[in-house]
Amino acid sequence: MQNAKDTFYILLRGRLASLNPARTMTLRAVSRPGILVSEAEAPAAQPILDAFALNWTGMQADLQLPAILSQMTCEIGYSTAGTQTNAGLDRGRALEEMDYEVLKLLYPYSAQKMNYTTNPATAMETMVFWSEPEFSPVVIERDRLSRTVKVTVFAFQEQGEQ
Amino acid sequence: MADLSTQNPGGFAQRAATAMLRAGGGTTASLQMPPLQADTSDAGQIGLNAPGFLSLPLAPVVFRKARVALGDGQLPKYELLVSADAVAAQVSQLKLSSPQALFGQASGVVVAGKLFLIEAVSASESQGEAYLYRLLLQDAGGEWPM
Repeated sequence: MQNAKDTFYILLRGRLASLNPARTMTLRAVSRPGILVSEAEAPAAQPILDAFALNWTGMQADLQLPAILSQMTCEIGYSTAGTQTNAGLDRGRALEEMDYEVLKLLYPYSAQKMNYTTNPATAMETMVFWSEPEFSPVVIERDRLSRTVKVTVFAFQEQGEQ
Repeated sequence: MADLSTQNPGGFAQRAATAMLRAGGGTTASLQMPPLQADTSDAGQIGLNAPGFLSLPLAPVVFRKARVALGDGQLPKYELLVSADAVAAQVSQLKLSSPQALFGQASGVVVAGKLFLIEAVSASESQGEAYLYRLLLQDAGGEWPM
């Protein structure tokens, strides 16, 4: 399951770098595409604006198949307060841009599962695939607009995989 | 209308705050900062590699329980009062643009061997210059000694 989570994040990060190279952030002194796995970073009192945060929440396993099929819920959260140039009055437009990016990042809805515990990463035998995104309503907190997108990620548990 | 009166900040407030913290049982706290050699690998972003945080000492500081009303299941909060002189020294040494950048990069703060998470930072100023920083802290879940 961890390999599926790692694959999903690194795939989305690569797609974001191609789709919008300007969406970057500096985290732990590294400038990188504006997407992160919340459980792999230090907790923060406030979300990082204009970046995508992956939160793994739900988990189910289908044991009726020849291989265990894991279904994990990934909630992609993002917030924006617009840009300084426009004094934040473009926050609606900025959120719409991030909505569009999420749609583009998630398509196509599958990828080869990779094992990132080896160096270099090695391809595994099965695919990771996921559902179409479910967009939640916008949450408004003063000048900050936030949204969560829910995706169900599926992956088969391979022999010997933890 | 602008205040055009002459003001000569001489660092009096900073020195007074530092002396007050020292006299009030001042101790040392350490900010957990990212390493100088940043980890740019994939493994560093998915929780595989140890982050290798640096401990950045700040002294004098005073640590105390914050006066907030607690509800059921809420973790207690603490305050860390930090001398602006100590912060300025570290900002200068790390060549950062501002104290906010310093606190923004910190992933936590260690006081007496225990890790706390930074909830908020505020500064008290005199004549437009900070003389004391107040960090609102919360217990970190992990109880490992630092």
